[in-house]
Amino acid sequence: MTQTTTASPVPTGIDLSTISRPASRLDTDPRGREVVFGVDGLSVSYGGALALDGVSLEIRKNFVTAFIGPSGCGKSTFIRCFNRMNDLIPGAVVDGRVLYHGRDLYGSNVDPVEVRRRIGMVFQKPNPFPKSIYDNIAFGPRVLKLTKELDERVERTLRHAALWDEVKDRLSENALGLSGGQQQRLCIARALAVEPDVILMDEPASALDPISTSRIEDLIHELKREYTIVIVTHNMQQAARVADMTAFFSVELHEDGSGRHGTLVEYDRTTKIFTNPSDRRTEDYVTGRFG
Amino acid sequence: MARLEYQASLDSLESDLQEQGEVVLRAVRGAMDALETQDVGLCDEVIAFDDEIDERYHRIERSIGELLAQQAPVASDLRLVLAVLHSSIHLERIGDQSVTIAKLTKLSAALEQHTELVEGLCEMGARGVEMVRRSLAAFAGRDVAGARELVDLDELIDRTNRAVVDKVLAMSATPEMQEWGMRMIVVARCIERIGDNAVDIGEQTEYLVTGEFHEFSDASH
Repeated sequence: MTQTTTASPVPTGIDLSTISRPASRLDTDPRGREVVFGVDGLSVSYGGALALDGVSLEIRKNFVTAFIGPSGCGKSTFIRCFNRMNDLIPGAVVDGRVLYHGRDLYGSNVDPVEVRRRIGMVFQKPNPFPKSIYDNIAFGPRVLKLTKELDERVERTLRHAALWDEVKDRLSENALGLSGGQQQRLCIARALAVEPDVILMDEPASALDPISTSRIEDLIHELKREYTIVIVTHNMQQAARVADMTAFFSVELHEDGSGRHGTLVEYDRTTKIFTNPSDRRTEDYVTGRFG
Repeated sequence: MARLEYQASLDSLESDLQEQGEVVLRAVRGAMDALETQDVGLCDEVIAFDDEIDERYHRIERSIGELLAQQAPVASDLRLVLAVLHSSIHLERIGDQSVTIAKLTKLSAALEQHTELVEGLCEMGARGVEMVRRSLAAFAGRDVAGARELVDLDELIDRTNRAVVDKVLAMSATPEMQEWGMRMIVVARCIERIGDNAVDIGEQTEYLVTGEFHEFSDASH
């Protein structure tokens, strides 16, 4: 019997091709991912007072991107720029550019209402309408005249928000009767009902107990398969748990001592921010030595 | 500076590691002295002393478990905790090598010996002690260059280790000398491993400082 040998790059005979790479949606490498938001030199002022200065970064598709930083660092101001919520604040001025899929979000021909349909938002305090659970979900679709197969849409959306099993037998009950955690998932479902592209979450779990918080975090992990998520959080461990990318904002005092504004210090993969941040200020903040 | 208690726990963890290092160095020195003087009593002391080293390792491991659970360290704190844990394991293994050297010395005590080879092994052991000492100093001083220099020192130990086999083969005229020689090959191997563990601690120093882990030398080394 003749033995033949074939050339192999792995002399031990271990077939590396059988070791599968993670699916692309689990890949945390931001390079090559579609850019959803391209922010360039963004500054925001309220009544002439600078709140946030010169922020540039990119938000990638199907990533969870977290904004962290101390109070007053401008992270909530910043997230509100992504769906033009600052338009609703008198005296707010947004400078710089926010491109959404390459299109200027603040262009003169852009309808802010359409922006907010595509880019949904969930707030710190659950704010369901004082209506039935069903009507909370159906509200947006009705406004947008997406009423075809509305029951199916409501069920699908509640399932998506991991709430269906808990509310399916009481859809006609008032949403204000739900627990805080359920109300917040209802608000997420309400945002999902109009088929957005992006979900912005401003401290979505800060008013919730640990169990409700973990449900929201599980939900965020699920939702990023289909949506791009941006989250502001005070809870650094939450950012570490849920986010692929993390931006750290800090507060800078004006040189003339007249006030202070927020600034972006560092933006990188979450694992980098929490194991080996590049900037001393990030290091001090995430290790709890800030101040 | 905020989180004073937390910082105190990290400082104490690091001083525990350095103390474990001092204790381990005593064990290595003890094992080498016992080999040189053929002191069976000292061998027993080195063997018994290993419990102390193990206890120190377990204490560090427990402290790290508590720190992770209670303080959730991140960034350079997380790297410090991980580097201390790994380094503590490496020190514990150096302690184990000292025990093996002591046991082999005991087993060989009644056998005919080759003085020149014993001297060579003791010199090799002194290099090992120096490497462990330097690895601990580099860790404490966050000295990456110093940590990387350990590779050069390790090469000297490796070279001596390879020469030991040839020497044993050349000198083994009698079965008794063969038995002794075989045991000394294992002693040399233990010292060689001590050098490797010191290099491992050096690698932890680089990780602690830079956040990047690299093997200082590849497996073919």
